[in-house]
Amino acid sequence: MNIFKKYIPLALVFVFGIVTLASYYVPHRVSESYMEQISVWENIVFAFSLFLGAISLLYSHYNKIVKKVDGWGYSLFVYLGFIVMIVLAIVANGKISDEGQMTALGWGFNYIYNPLSATMFSVLAFYIISTAYRSFRIKSSSAFLLFIAGLILMLGNIPLGDLIWSKLLGWTHTSIASIKDWVMNVPSTAGKRGILIGVSVGAAVTSLKIIFGIERGYMGKD
Amino acid sequence: MELSLVLGAWVAAGMTLFIFSFLYKDNPFYRAAEHLYVGVGMAWFIQLYTYSVIIPKVYKPLVDTIKAGDWVNMWLVLIPTVLGLSLITQFIPKISWISRYGFTFLMGYGAGLILPAGLATDFMNQIVGTIEPFANFFSLSAGAMINAIIILIGTLSVLFYFFFSVEHKGAIKKVSAFGVYFLMIYFGASFGNTVMARFSLLYGRFDTLVKYSKGEYFYATNWIILGLLIYFICEKIFFKAVKLKKT
Repeated sequence: MNIFKKYIPLALVFVFGIVTLASYYVPHRVSESYMEQISVWENIVFAFSLFLGAISLLYSHYNKIVKKVDGWGYSLFVYLGFIVMIVLAIVANGKISDEGQMTALGWGFNYIYNPLSATMFSVLAFYIISTAYRSFRIKSSSAFLLFIAGLILMLGNIPLGDLIWSKLLGWTHTSIASIKDWVMNVPSTAGKRGILIGVSVGAAVTSLKIIFGIERGYMGKD
Repeated sequence: MELSLVLGAWVAAGMTLFIFSFLYKDNPFYRAAEHLYVGVGMAWFIQLYTYSVIIPKVYKPLVDTIKAGDWVNMWLVLIPTVLGLSLITQFIPKISWISRYGFTFLMGYGAGLILPAGLATDFMNQIVGTIEPFANFFSLSAGAMINAIIILIGTLSVLFYFFFSVEHKGAIKKVSAFGVYFLMIYFGASFGNTVMARFSLLYGRFDTLVKYSKGEYFYATNWIILGLLIYFICEKIFFKAVKLKKT
């Protein structure tokens, strides 16, 4: 049984990993059609993984409702939102608009999903301010740089920043927008490049560990 | 004004204000909207992948190939479908090991793709971007020369900061400490960008609320704010009364 539970899955990782890796570097019609086909396969398997997530979510909230744990009533809203959106999608056949007209799904997207999603993320603006207060307290030279870079970026993106700059530092004949561009293109790029190079080396090593079966966390418990 | 638009305005204003109400304190309206968002969000992606992947790439090709007796192409659809379906066995402990087949496919393909793609974009392109200006260094303007040197020094010092194979002391400590300054500038700039993005979303929400506070939408925003205010005032009075009764 070990062969089906352990060795064949590990062999699959190795085969798909090596063949995909090789196909990237081999300019041949076979490798091109392989990459085309395998990306469709990946799309399909990934789509099913979303169903796995949905089942897991609905099952955990079902348990909360059945066991009547604290706040179980809110779990009903998860089901309500899920069912409403699925029904709207079925009614609209998965189309947001049809011949320029907003469909039922489009209505659900514009008036339910989008406001909820945008507001949820916009609320973070308030928390970011409190985070900024804590992180921008200038205790060291590096904290000062963090503050200055953040401030320049924010001022450089708003008309008020330009107004303040021209009133206070207009005599320098520069603009806050040009300073912002320089910060983004030069010192910030240097920091970003260092991180990206490090991340890519880390990703390459992890990929090799996965392909050769050294990293097996995704296999779960035996 | 169409009924669906008015209804939509009330729903959108309600959802927006219910989530904003968390800024005052945790409350049932926020909790309901939060849970609704989880359900709606999941359903949105499920329908998206159903109509863009499952139906056109699984259901239709399977039906067509079976009808046409095209067994080779049928297998090309059936294999990923079985791999995908194997993921669902996660919920049946006795056969949950079958889900490894789906996961291993995703991991193998992902690792095989990320390795060359990551090396090409994040590794090689970043190195090329850093050293390329030095290929025609003396034809650059003075400003571009200084910028190229700053980027090179910054990138190298940041790399030194992340280089743990040698102990950070002496010259290496100084270089890596210098790298921290570049990292801080990058983090500060990223933070500034994030703040701007969040605030632009916030302006968008306020704009929507103002739009829905007009007569054509039957003052949706105003009525919902009033309702929330009444709830919070009643809650405060009611809880005060309960607390007094208990003491």
